[in-house]
Amino acid sequence: MASNSEKERQIDPVGQSFVRFGSWERLAGNARFCADIEMEGMAFLVAVRSQRHHALIKSVNSEKALSSRGCLGVFTSADIPGKNRFGIINKDQFLLAENKVRCIGDPIAIVAGETLPDAQKAARLVQVSYQELPSVFDPEEALRPDAPKIHDNGNFLGNRIIRKGSPEEAFRNSDVVVERYYETSHVEHCYIEPDAGVAFVDHDGVVTIFASTQNPHYDLKDVCDLLALDESKVRIIQSPTGGGFGSKLDLNTQGFVGLAAWILKRPVKMVYTREEAFLCTAKRHPLKIWYKSGATRDGRLMAADVRIIGDTGAYASYGLAVVSRSAVHATGPYEIPNLNIESKFAYTNHPMAGAMRGFGVPQIAFAHESQMDLLAQALDMSPVEIRLRNSLRVGSQTATGQQLHASVGIAKTIEAVKPYYEKARKQAPALKPHLKYGVGVASMLYGIGNTGVQNPSTAQVELLKDGSITLYSGAADIGQGSTTVLAQIAAQELNMDPLAIKLVIADTGRTTSAGATSASRQTYISGNAVLDATKKLKDVLVTHAASKLKASRSRMRLEPGFVYDMENVQNKASFQELASIMSRTGTPLKWQGFFDPDTTPLDPVSGMGKPYATFAYATHVAEVAVDTLTGEVQVLRVSAAHDVGKAINPENVRGQIYGGVVMGLGFALMEEFEPGKTESLKDYHIPTCADIPEIVPIIVEDFEPTGPFGAKGVGEPALIPTAPAILNAISDALGSRIYKLPANLERVLAAAILSKES
Amino acid sequence: MPEDFEKEMDSVSISFRLNGEAVSIQVDPSESALVVLRDRLGLKGTKEGCGIGECGACSIMVDAKVINSCLTLAPQLDGREVMTVEGLAALPAGQSIQKAFAETGGVQCGFCTPGMLISSFSLLLSNPKPARSEIIEAISGNICRCTGYVQIIDAIESASRTLSDNDNKNL
Ligand code: FES
Ligand code: FES
Repeated sequence: MASNSEKERQIDPVGQSFVRFGSWERLAGNARFCADIEMEGMAFLVAVRSQRHHALIKSVNSEKALSSRGCLGVFTSADIPGKNRFGIINKDQFLLAENKVRCIGDPIAIVAGETLPDAQKAARLVQVSYQELPSVFDPEEALRPDAPKIHDNGNFLGNRIIRKGSPEEAFRNSDVVVERYYETSHVEHCYIEPDAGVAFVDHDGVVTIFASTQNPHYDLKDVCDLLALDESKVRIIQSPTGGGFGSKLDLNTQGFVGLAAWILKRPVKMVYTREEAFLCTAKRHPLKIWYKSGATRDGRLMAADVRIIGDTGAYASYGLAVVSRSAVHATGPYEIPNLNIESKFAYTNHPMAGAMRGFGVPQIAFAHESQMDLLAQALDMSPVEIRLRNSLRVGSQTATGQQLHASVGIAKTIEAVKPYYEKARKQAPALKPHLKYGVGVASMLYGIGNTGVQNPSTAQVELLKDGSITLYSGAADIGQGSTTVLAQIAAQELNMDPLAIKLVIADTGRTTSAGATSASRQTYISGNAVLDATKKLKDVLVTHAASKLKASRSRMRLEPGFVYDMENVQNKASFQELASIMSRTGTPLKWQGFFDPDTTPLDPVSGMGKPYATFAYATHVAEVAVDTLTGEVQVLRVSAAHDVGKAINPENVRGQIYGGVVMGLGFALMEEFEPGKTESLKDYHIPTCADIPEIVPIIVEDFEPTGPFGAKGVGEPALIPTAPAILNAISDALGSRIYKLPANLERVLAAAILSKES
Repeated sequence: MPEDFEKEMDSVSISFRLNGEAVSIQVDPSESALVVLRDRLGLKGTKEGCGIGECGACSIMVDAKVINSCLTLAPQLDGREVMTVEGLAALPAGQSIQKAFAETGGVQCGFCTPGMLISSFSLLLSNPKPARSEIIEAISGNICRCTGYVQIIDAIESASRTLSDNDNKNL
C-alpha cells in the first residue's frame, strides 16, 4: 500500500485537464502554419485542373504559360521521376493526370511562379484539350456492365459481407419487421485551414516537406515513390494543422511541393484556395442504405438485413475502410444474432470520397438508430427501453462474432442520459403553436483503430544526460490534443509534470511511425506505444537506482527528477546521476515502445473476426423545436454521454464532445455538398455559434484493461449519435420521419406537411 | 479583365497605425489588407480561411470595429488604427482573453483563434459585461470547425469577469 509520503509525492497527471499543448503559440499568433512559412527564394505553385468529369487528355500546351512573366515551370506527369501513383489503400490516384481525367478538379499540371500572381497567371495560360467520355454519377449505375469504365479494372471498389445465423427464419419468427431505405449526402470536411505545404531541398539533398497532414509517415512513403527517392532522402514535418477530420489523411499538396522543389531546387509553397479545398479533396461518402430489422414482441432484436451502396467518386482514398466499417457497425451497439449485411462501393465520376470523422459509421448510425425508433414505435415501447434491452454487455457477441470481455459501457451511457430524456419528455417547454417540440435518443459503438488489419504505433522515450526526458512520437496532433495526452501518459508512468517533457512530434526525420491520426486510435494505440517505451525506461531507472541506493527494486519509487527509496525517502538518486551511470555501463538511454491492437482479419465470406481490440460507446439525447411553417429546426439541447474508458484529459474529451455534437448537427440539418454546384463556404453552410444547442457532455469511464491507464478514444464517436438523435427528435416532434440527410428546410417542411395531412 | 492585361496599376502610399505603431507603405490599390498585413508586413497571425468574407479567420480591428481583412482593400486602411492578434497579445486585456481561451480549452487546432480573439476583444472593448447572446452575436462571423464554440463562449464570459475595471481602461 502506498504510504502517506508516497501519496504526497504522487503527481497523477492522468485525469487532469492540462491546457492543450500548442495553445499559447496559437493564441499569440506565432504558430507557423504552412501558409505562414517564408523562405528565401520561395516559389509558388498553382495547379491546372480538369474541367471535365471524364475525358481523355488530347494535349497539354504549356508554351504560352512558360513565356509568361515570372513563370518558373509547368510540370506534367512526364516530369515525375518515380511512379505516378499513390493512395492510402489503393494506389489508384495520379499526382498529375496521364492520359485521362476522372473528375472535375483532377490535377493535370503544376505551374510554378516567382510570385503567387505569376503562377496564377501562367496557370490560366496552360491549354488542355480534351476528348469527352461518357460519365456516370450513380454508384448502382456504375456497377452495371455497360457503364463507362472509370479505371482499367472497372468501377467496383470492394465489398464486405457479414453473414451469421439464419436471418430468413429469424424474420419469419419476428413479431415485428421494419424495412426502410435511407440516404446520406456528400459532406465536406471544411477544416478552416485550407490544405497547404512547403518544400525545399536541404544541404544534404533531403527533400524536406512541411505539411498540413494527419499522417506524415504515410506521406513519406508515397512521396518517395513519386520522386523515386530513398526514404533517407525525403523528410515530412507536420506543421501546425488547422483541423483535418480525415481529409488530411490523403496526399493533398505534399506530392506537388515535393516534385516542384526537387525539380527547381528551390523552396516552394502551395496553399489551396478554399474553392480548391472544396473541389479537390475528399468528401464523406454518400450512402444508400436498405435496412430491414426484426424483433420479438418484447423488443429483442432477432435479425437485420442490410444493403449498403457507397459512391467513392473517382478514387478510392479510404473507401475500402468505409466499406468494411459501415458493414461491421451496421448493427449499432446491439446484439443481433442473425445477420445478412453487404456493403458495396463503386467508383463514379464524382469528386473522391474518403475518410471523414467516423468512416461510414455516422451514415449507418442514422439508419440503425432510425430503425430502433421505428421498432419501438411498432412495439409501443420507450426508445430508451428498447436500446437498453438490446445493448451489448460483457460476454456479448458483436456483429462479427467477437466476444466482448470488458469495457462495454453502452448501457452506462444510456443510463447516463436517461434522466435528461425523461425530464424532457415530462416537461416540454411552452412553445408557440407553429413550433413543435421533440425529443430523440441515439446510440453508437465505434471500433478503435483500423478494421481487422495490423495498425501498430511506435514511440521512443529518452533520458538525456541532464536528467530531462524527451518523448518522440510520429502522431500528428491536428488540434484534438494527442500530443498533450501522450505526454500525460509518459508523465504518469514517470510521476512527473508533463510540461517538463520535451517533445519531438510528427517529423519523419526524427520520429518513427505512429500510424495515421484516424480511427480514434492515437490515445489507445500510440498511448500504449508511449507507455511501453516509458515502462522500459522506468524499469532501467529503477534497476540502476536500486543498485545505487542499495535497496530492493520493489522499494523504488519515482518523483520528479529522482528515484527514491520509499522506506527512506531521503535516500534518492537523481535522473541525472542515473543517466551518467547508464551511459557508463553501456545501458541505452533511449527506449522503444510498440503497440499493435489485438485483432484478426475478417473472413471474406462470413465477415467473422475480431476487427478491433476495443470499442467506444455513446448515447446522445437531442431536444428540438421544429418550425412547421419554415422547416427550421432549432436544436435546444444535446446531452451526450461517452464511454471513453478513462479520460486522460477530461477537458480534451469535452472539447471533442462539443465539437462532435456541433459537427453532427451540421451533418443532420444543413451540410450537403452538391457536386458540380457547391463551390465554397458561400453555398455550403456549416454551423456557426448561433446554431449551437446547449451541450451537456457526460464522461462515462468503463475501464479498458488493455488501454493506457484504461483509455479508449473519443474523436469520432463524439459526432456519431448526434445526427440520429436529432432526426429521431424531429420525427417525435412531427410524427413523420425523414429518411435522407441532411434534414434541411425543404425536407423538414415536407415532413411537416405530410404529418398534418395524415 | 482580358487575360493579357499587363498594365500595372499605380501603387499608392498609405499610412496607418498598426498595433500602436505608425506604418507607411506603398501598396497596389487592388491588394487586400490581408495580403498586405501577412505578406508585406510579415504579420502572419491573421489567417486566410476562405478569402470571401465567410469564415472570419482574417478578422482584424480597424478603428475598434471588426472587419474581414480579406474583403478590405489595403488603401482603406489609410489613416486608420489597425489591430491584429500580434497587437492584442501585447496588451494586458488581450492577455486576459488569451488566458481565458487557454484555460477553457477554447483553442483546438487554433486556426480560427486569432480571428476569435479579435472579435472577443472588440466586443469586450465596447461591452465589458456582455450577455451570452451578445457574445454569440459578436462571434457569429467567426467559424470554428473544431468546433469549440461552447468553450470559446465560456472563455469570453470568463475574460469579461476577470477583466477588472482597470484592465478595461487599458483596452
Ligand atoms: S478569410 Fe476572410 S472571411 Fe474567410
Ligand atoms: S480551433 Fe480549429 S477551427 Fe477553431
